[in-house]
Amino acid sequence: MTRTTRPASRRDFIKDTGVLLGGAWLGLTPTALVAAAEAARELEAQGAPLSHIEPGDALTLGAVADQVWPPDDTAGGRELGAVHFMDFAAGGFMAGAWPMVREGIADLDRRSREAHEADFADLDFDTQTAVLAGVEDTPFFSIAHFLTLLGCFCLPEYGGNRDHQGWAQIGFDRRHAWLPPFGFYDANPGETS
Amino acid sequence: MMCAPDAPACFDTRKPVDFVIVGSGASGGVLARELSQAGFDVVVLEQGPRRTARDFGHDEFKTMFGGELTGHPSWPDPQTFRRDEGETATAPGGGLPPALYARTVGGSSVHFSGNYWRMRPLDFKERSLLGPMEGTGFVDWPISYEELEPYYSKAEWEIGVSGTPGPFDPPRSKPYPLPPMPVKGSGVLLERGASAMGWHAQPAPVAILSQPYRGRPPCSHCGFCIGFGCEMNAKSSTLVTMIPEAEATGRCEVRPMSTVYRIVTGANGRVEEVAYLDAQGQQHAQKARAVVLAANGAETPRLLLMSESSAHPDGLGNGSGLVGKYLMGNGHSVIHGYFEHELNDWKSIQVTRIVHDFYETDPKRGFYGGGGMDGRPLVNAMPALHALTEAGSGPLRWGREYKRDVRSGFNRHMGILSSTTSVPLARNNISLDPNLKDAHGRPAIRMTYRDHDDDLAMMQFLQDRGQEILDAAGALRTWREPVGPQGFHAHLLGTCRMGDDPATSVVDRFHRSHEVPNLFICDGSSMVSSGRGQPTLTIQALAFRAAEHIAGFARRGEI
Repeated sequence: MTRTTRPASRRDFIKDTGVLLGGAWLGLTPTALVAAAEAARELEAQGAPLSHIEPGDALTLGAVADQVWPPDDTAGGRELGAVHFMDFAAGGFMAGAWPMVREGIADLDRRSREAHEADFADLDFDTQTAVLAGVEDTPFFSIAHFLTLLGCFCLPEYGGNRDHQGWAQIGFDRRHAWLPPFGFYDANPGETS
Repeated sequence: MMCAPDAPACFDTRKPVDFVIVGSGASGGVLARELSQAGFDVVVLEQGPRRTARDFGHDEFKTMFGGELTGHPSWPDPQTFRRDEGETATAPGGGLPPALYARTVGGSSVHFSGNYWRMRPLDFKERSLLGPMEGTGFVDWPISYEELEPYYSKAEWEIGVSGTPGPFDPPRSKPYPLPPMPVKGSGVLLERGASAMGWHAQPAPVAILSQPYRGRPPCSHCGFCIGFGCEMNAKSSTLVTMIPEAEATGRCEVRPMSTVYRIVTGANGRVEEVAYLDAQGQQHAQKARAVVLAANGAETPRLLLMSESSAHPDGLGNGSGLVGKYLMGNGHSVIHGYFEHELNDWKSIQVTRIVHDFYETDPKRGFYGGGGMDGRPLVNAMPALHALTEAGSGPLRWGREYKRDVRSGFNRHMGILSSTTSVPLARNNISLDPNLKDAHGRPAIRMTYRDHDDDLAMMQFLQDRGQEILDAAGALRTWREPVGPQGFHAHLLGTCRMGDDPATSVVDRFHRSHEVPNLFICDGSSMVSSGRGQPTLTIQALAFRAAEHIAGFARRGEI
């Protein structure tokens, strides 16, 4: 058995990230959210790649998304549509923070060129990991990480979680009704694991 | 004010109605139903919109990150927070507001997890049982458990509750109306670990239907419960229980999208009307013979403080100076565990088993307090929040090992949430922020809160017991959320406390303002002590009792 005591809570993370967002979450109205989601879905359906993120930035963010949620025997963050979710965010609830994200992208590419003479997206996976580790305490990485995960696991209507593959990867199945037993332990209440 | 053609009732704002109720949530919904069924004309003002089951779904982004239910529906309504009075309070930029409640018809009873605990006799008289705590507001209630018991039973039957009594439960005059919900993996494991330690897990009482009840279907175990509205109408919110029954009388008009900003008193010191803003920010005022505030333990004191006048310079009904003081949020601590096999604890309701072995204060622990523990998925029931939880504690986790842990952990996770007493302290309070206002000039809610050392000790004590339970149940890995002063509260209690002495309380034992005869206050703010977490049943029992007394006063011309 291993035990770990972690120094900061999820609550702190959400709170701190919230500060970075400049209050964007709470400023949202449901109507605006729905409209933005519909617009994002429509754009994707039309094959319009992105409407708010520059193509070069998209390459970098896709590579970052794959570092946060790497491809293995299943799709990584980029393939799941995390960048499309980021596009939805950049045009809506993250618009205020987007200049900071762009600075972070530029900084990441600058670091990559200085150390490896190539943009971040053109580095091999392990080299990208090393470069990204150098910025993991920055607000940029916090936002990119946050958006990657929302992009992997929120409803596909927002641009990510393509074909619900993000959910499939963790074993979540969207249904509106279940019947007990729900898992091993309630099916086998007398057995020890 | 125009009503819809099919509105069950429609009152003229310029003609006094018998009662205006501010808030349609756990207590407001009960008061609306009881007073309208008693034959009185009632207008309910609710700042949120009217939603139905069709509006509730499984959209984690909209609900958990967009503040769909908790944000103000028409304009930003920021709040501020500080730990101590010497600090300048600041607005947390996003994420969770310090006072967390739902703005929708049915209030927080729409988005709560349905945990529905009775308090026990000791909760009402702990000061007498244990002696004084210097420098605190630790006092007995003016009423006893025995006096409230009939209303606990009434709430359980009128609202619709599933459960069965446990070994430590207080006396009850009626059984639960519905059998307990089916146990989940977290319940089996909580029970297994607790039994190994010599403790006693019991089925959790919840305001969620295990069987059809009064025209509503049972829970379908969809899993989107905490923070979400119920798409099946199986969660017993006032939206689907009390409010339709109030409207069926033809004497109750629920007016959504109505944000109250002032209780207006006349020269005689009595309340004359309630001023509110509609969705466009236009001002209206509803005249009333009497007003009942049921807006929750943050909004109710805010409104009283905003309703100051020459006769009430420190806020309406605040001669004691205690409006907003003694805020209690219950303490909370969390421990997580991963198990070998799949629990799939993201299915069904949050909690199916609880442990109440540590409910009473034990002097041997060396500090005041008690609490309860439950097994549940917490926010790990939702995919994005599960991933953020894995990532969010400490340095952000990312990469292949992180993905492996998130993927294997979603189905194998459970948490133990402990809920504790909160010592009532004047330093913990709701006040009006002196600097921050909303778009219509309403001062922001300012929360000042630092948990008492005994509360923190109790939170830690129960987290340690949670560790023992998870270990005994066979957890492969456990980790803790660090125990520390809390920064937000969904239980908003004690800010207009009930008492017999006007110098040390805001309302009397019948929820009437000590100073304003036609003003009543009945919600979490009325509570004198915090209980051990899960206050909704007590709030609703108080509302059933208050409504009976208020109706009696009105019939006898005593308002």
